[in-house]
Amino acid sequence: MSKEQKIRGVLFYISCLIFILGLPGILTYTMGFQFDRRTWKFTRTGLISLKSDPAGADVYLDHNLFSEKTPCSINDVLPGAHHIELTLDGYYSYSSDIEVLPSKVRRIEKIILFPLRADVQQLNKERISSFWVDDSRNLVYYVNMDENSIYRSDLDGEHFKLLANFIELRPPPKQWLFSPDREKLLYFSSRQIGLINLHPENESLPQESQFVINYPQDNIQDIFWHADNYHLIIAGEKKISILEAKPESLPFVLVNLNKRNASVFFDPRDEVIYFSDSQRAEDGRTYDNIYKLELKTKLYPFRDLIRLKPNEREQKD
Amino acid sequence: MNESKKIKRILEIIPGALSWSIILGLICLSMFKPVVCAVIIIVFDFYWIIRTGYLTTLLLMAHRRLLKDKNKNWLKACERLAPKYDWKSLHHLVIFPVYKEGIDILRASLEALRACYYPKEKMIVVMAFEERYKSSWETAKILEGEFGREFEGYLTTYHPDGLSGEKRLKGSNATWAAKKAKDYLETKSIPLDKVVVSCFDADTCVDQQYFGCLTHHFIINPKPHQASYQPIPVYNNNIWYAPSFARIVEISASFCQLIESMRLEKFVTFSSHSMSFKTLVDIDYWPRDMVSDDSVVYWKAYLFYKGDYRVIPLYITVSMDMAYGSNFLKTIVVQYKQKRRWAWGIENFPYVVSRFMNNPDISIFKKIRRSFHLLEGHVTWAIWATIMVIIAPLPILLGGFFFNQMPIGYNLPRITGMLFNFTLITSLIWILLTRTILPPRPKDVKWFVNILMLLEWAIVPFIIIIVGSTPALDAQTRLMLAQYMEFFPTEKRRKVV
Repeated sequence: MSKEQKIRGVLFYISCLIFILGLPGILTYTMGFQFDRRTWKFTRTGLISLKSDPAGADVYLDHNLFSEKTPCSINDVLPGAHHIELTLDGYYSYSSDIEVLPSKVRRIEKIILFPLRADVQQLNKERISSFWVDDSRNLVYYVNMDENSIYRSDLDGEHFKLLANFIELRPPPKQWLFSPDREKLLYFSSRQIGLINLHPENESLPQESQFVINYPQDNIQDIFWHADNYHLIIAGEKKISILEAKPESLPFVLVNLNKRNASVFFDPRDEVIYFSDSQRAEDGRTYDNIYKLELKTKLYPFRDLIRLKPNEREQKD
Repeated sequence: MNESKKIKRILEIIPGALSWSIILGLICLSMFKPVVCAVIIIVFDFYWIIRTGYLTTLLLMAHRRLLKDKNKNWLKACERLAPKYDWKSLHHLVIFPVYKEGIDILRASLEALRACYYPKEKMIVVMAFEERYKSSWETAKILEGEFGREFEGYLTTYHPDGLSGEKRLKGSNATWAAKKAKDYLETKSIPLDKVVVSCFDADTCVDQQYFGCLTHHFIINPKPHQASYQPIPVYNNNIWYAPSFARIVEISASFCQLIESMRLEKFVTFSSHSMSFKTLVDIDYWPRDMVSDDSVVYWKAYLFYKGDYRVIPLYITVSMDMAYGSNFLKTIVVQYKQKRRWAWGIENFPYVVSRFMNNPDISIFKKIRRSFHLLEGHVTWAIWATIMVIIAPLPILLGGFFFNQMPIGYNLPRITGMLFNFTLITSLIWILLTRTILPPRPKDVKWFVNILMLLEWAIVPFIIIIVGSTPALDAQTRLMLAQYMEFFPTEKRRKVV
């Protein structure tokens, strides 16, 4: 037999030995068994699977440091109550008491480690009273009620600048709303509506760049922008009205409400108003209902789909 | 159906039935007993890791031997053995069975033969054409003109179509050529036991040292007629022009052959090989009705010598063409069909076992061992990739919520992942070894092909799915259903530079 064949023979038997000796170990490990040296018996154990965001956290099981960092799995955990703690520099630690069952996997895989406050930074460069974030354009708006000013910056506080000075309302405004095209900014109190045109150069009349509409008819609860960026849906205490966003505009009442402080919601995509109101039934009792009011006409539902010839279009126009 | 045919049919059914039973059984288990299925998969994964480690070590050993023997001056080694061993009285008969190969391919094979260091006056070449292809007559004439006087003898044979007891197979053509060569040898009064025959695929280009190496191994062998001599086939002729898919598959095939060369008790002749011409005549030549003629000829000799016959590895390369098509899809088809033809070697199982049953001269231990090796090798080939790629994830997918909450459900993908990582490490070794068997880069091939050759190993998982197990399963299923395969000549291309 050549030397190579002898080596091969040795290799073969070593491989067989590894297989025979290693297989029971691998099988018992994967099936969650642990050999208890005290009792000389295989006992069923449980398994803990840990994942954290961010990864790489130190893991403590019952206050003992585990050899791996997250994501990891701790095999051969004896059944019963255990304490888990995750620590990572610069983040708040996470801890939890868990129950491990025999032959079961305990998955704790949605841990978020939150950063410590060291990362907090101030965004505003001027005094402010309130703010709101326009996440569609990654901008932050700031309001200074003492000076009646609005500022704007990006999400990191950079490019901080004065946007406009607004006309003061009485009582002070309770909410600020952008038009869908982000060209106009609306603010309102219970009796007044203020409107700022963010691009006054687009307006033909200078008085339309910033104005206040008085609304003495009702107590304003909420306002919604119509999709046309021009009409406003006013949800008052007693009625739901429509108002044009221009000086001296007069409201058009859509619904008179029986119930005070009814809930109103406007869906600008389908131009539908949903509102709650109370109604007296035939049995003489009053019930609360939810109503749906469609602003779009349904008389010609296929109007937009029919293609007209040019001469027909002229006639129609 | 008589008794022997019944036994043959049963033996034909066994490999396919076994492979399908394992695959379908595991699929059923993954649905109804996922824990049992997972245990079997983990056992298989662990077995495969150890097997891969073991075989990669054998590959390294064989490769080391290849590098050592490649640079040896074998003719000098033969001369050193004289006069104890009379190597000069030996004659080499080289048969090239030709199917439809063009003159460029055949000329290259003959030029490689002419460039050998071995004395040409001791070499007889037979170009064995098929009579039914009239176009080959012209090719034969040209080659005869170019090489007819280069060797001790040069014969051109035309194998007649439709001889009784024959199929249109390479073995039929080679046998016809060998019979004509026997007539030639007898007219020249050359004793048959002094002739070593080499049957080469038409695209085989031998190493310059090949016949020196073969002669050395033949003369030092105490039983030279009771052995076949197997070189290492490498698919190098067009390797720089072949697409990545074909290149990876064929390099892997060469490495598998290197590994097999270390496992002597299992080693069987494959593709181009050499043997004693006397033995070839004694066993009635190559089979004329079986596709895998290269391995069946070994079994015929094994049975003839009552189990006292072996294959001696020659750590010297014979270079052949890589099989690929004109586009990626065709390459996959060509490779798939070639691997299926190789896997059709499972037809050896019913052939060998049925003859073992009627042969009382071979020990029962040998019979069981060789039959088991044959069956195990082919069944493993048919199931390994299917288990690793398709069945391994099934317990997780079909096992349900409770299985996935168990430690074994949790650990199964990790163990399988570990297996793949280990396979990646062995792939790195294969990548390094590939560089050592590559021929020099032709001038018209850009330098970045070197980098491509490294990166292309990333497609190994994709290759495993296509040509890992499926061709073997296909071949076994055909045999099981008695859908016997005909010889499919592999489409090979060579860029003319």
